[in-house]
Amino acid sequence: MAREPGGEKIVNPNPMMSNGNNCQRLFRLLLGLLLAVLAAGLGYVLSSLPSPAPGLSKPVAEHLEASGVSNPVTAVLLNYRAYDTLLELGVLLLAPLGVWSLGVAARHREPLVDPVLDMLARLLVPMLILVAGYLLWAGAHAPGGAFQAGSVLAAAGVLLLLSGWWPGPAFSGLPLRVSLTAGPGVFLVAGVALMFAGGRMLEYPPPFAGALILLIEAAATWSIGITLAALFAGGRPVAGPHR
Amino acid sequence: MLEFHWQAILILLPFAGAAGCFLWPQRAVPLGLFVASGIVICVIGAGWQLAELGTQRYAVGGWGAPLGIDLYTDGLSLLMLAVTALAGLGISIYSSGYFSHERARYFWPLWMFLWTALNALFLSADIFNLYVTLELLGLAAVALVALAGGADALSGAMRYLLVSLLGSLAYLLGVALLYHGFGSVDIAILAQRVEPSPVVWAAAGLMSAGLLLKTALFPLHFWLPPAHASAPAPVSALLSALVVKASFYILARLWLEIFPFAGPGPALLMGLLGAAAVLWGGVQALRQTRLKMLIAYSTVAQTGYLFLAFPLASVTGWTAALYMLLSHAAAKTAMFMAAGNILYFGGHDRIADLDRIVQRLPLTITAFALAGVSIMGLPPSGGFIAKWMLLEAAIRSGQWWWVGILIVGGLLSAAWAFKVIGYAFTRSEAPHDTRKIPVVMEWSALLMAMLAILLGLFAPWPLALMEIGSPFDREGSG
Repeated sequence: MAREPGGEKIVNPNPMMSNGNNCQRLFRLLLGLLLAVLAAGLGYVLSSLPSPAPGLSKPVAEHLEASGVSNPVTAVLLNYRAYDTLLELGVLLLAPLGVWSLGVAARHREPLVDPVLDMLARLLVPMLILVAGYLLWAGAHAPGGAFQAGSVLAAAGVLLLLSGWWPGPAFSGLPLRVSLTAGPGVFLVAGVALMFAGGRMLEYPPPFAGALILLIEAAATWSIGITLAALFAGGRPVAGPHR
Repeated sequence: MLEFHWQAILILLPFAGAAGCFLWPQRAVPLGLFVASGIVICVIGAGWQLAELGTQRYAVGGWGAPLGIDLYTDGLSLLMLAVTALAGLGISIYSSGYFSHERARYFWPLWMFLWTALNALFLSADIFNLYVTLELLGLAAVALVALAGGADALSGAMRYLLVSLLGSLAYLLGVALLYHGFGSVDIAILAQRVEPSPVVWAAAGLMSAGLLLKTALFPLHFWLPPAHASAPAPVSALLSALVVKASFYILARLWLEIFPFAGPGPALLMGLLGAAAVLWGGVQALRQTRLKMLIAYSTVAQTGYLFLAFPLASVTGWTAALYMLLSHAAAKTAMFMAAGNILYFGGHDRIADLDRIVQRLPLTITAFALAGVSIMGLPPSGGFIAKWMLLEAAIRSGQWWWVGILIVGGLLSAAWAFKVIGYAFTRSEAPHDTRKIPVVMEWSALLMAMLAILLGLFAPWPLALMEIGSPFDREGSG
């Protein structure tokens, strides 16, 4: 079993595995056998699957009018099951939080001075931002929406990080934290406000549903883009997050 | 106020707390304590609503199942929320003294997210939404374990992350099969539509295996001791008291509502694994030389008792298991807090070098002893009531052999508890430096331990709460 050189012994959870090579081989064989049985069982089940039960596509289509958007995927994500999406945005805030708790971002010592990369970044980043804006807007009636737009925005962020453009200390404190929190934050405020306006949690009044969804998605796009780029940076910003 | 959205606030409040603690780390401690007290008030509100109006179904977004997501509250979910609120408040108070400034910055938002996930999980009536809460719960728990830093904590956290992901994915595959077969992810609708077929058996197997892995039922417990023992003390308390119970809760809901037709076979298997966990966890606990590792193995043992409810399959059996869960949550929180105090005070948790802790930390060792009383199942503690009811359920259903497990398990717990307390009186050969310990840490440990004892004296209240909406009465295999 693995031992840290000079460090403390790593707790061995499975004493069976340390009894020499034979035991380990037997263990692996047994594991392989079990996995094969599992795969065969699942294969049998999949082959004997009955025809799918009538899913929820009919009720989704029936209520599309009241959902504020005409793209059924966006209707499900941001209206019918908006609560799931709210929690998922929580996961997206949790991810950089966990990464930041582990250590500081290992920034490249000196920015790459590469004229090709520099040129490419100058060309692509504005385009990517534009595409992200379009995807966000298109999500209401066609494939697209906050998650796709956010990923494109993140691609722009990654390109900037690669070409040596790191945000200065002015951005890495509260402004960065606000950017990461904006998506779930706006969603949360909308949910609570609607509750006190007489509805239930996240119950959009149909006339405002479209506008509310766009507002929530815009904030989510920004947060998702910054979150993914921050995860790429691989740690908390050096200057922050003090103050 | 009776019609107020208590359920929704129970989820939104810690969520907002997480965002707030992340945005303003300097104010994290007062903000966290404010949220913790707010949650206790909301649970009281939800309990009042439940007692007056009966079970509650709350359609998020106003759509209602099957299109939208429902929140559902009955006695079982209320009890879980109450356990979480009480243990959570205790742990929050304890943590306000435990963490250094630098660690507190990350502990509070992570803990608030964990609390959001727990409350959302206990309220959910939708198996896909449950998956989302599991994801939030697992990720927050892993990050909290890693917060301790050091090789042990990081490797424990990594293994925990992989196990947690595997469990979630197995669960998700089951959800996909059920949706394919029956066109809904709402528990109540599935309960009406599901009939035995290969797809249902595969879904039941996958979901149960995933959840058993997360609950750390023997022999799937291998990840628990390193993760729980290497985490910071308040996090160990959270994981042992609440996080492993969350996946048990989902398992109980699934088997009681969606798969009640399974018959005695799978139930007996879970009961046997539970019995094995009681014995194995007890023996391993006795063999440990580090206090936190010992307590972590005791969690493996105590989790085993919960699974005896499956073969007993009666209202008494389930109520007993839930009471075990409740008193174990209180006692284990107190025990990890006490271990945390000892570690904070002396810088180590070697049982053989406890070095007159009795004189130096009298409140802490009292907390440890009182929690031990509940875990052994001695009267008048909550653990005693739970074991008494398990005994009653076992004899009434004619399955007297489980009684042997109860007795041996209790003796094993007594053996390790007396071993630890014995060393607390002796003088150690290698004296070591000590540092002063914040008063709140000692008192919160003691209060949690007293709660475990009080649960034995005031048993009728929680028992009456559990019966609202009779969550255990749907059992098919009587």
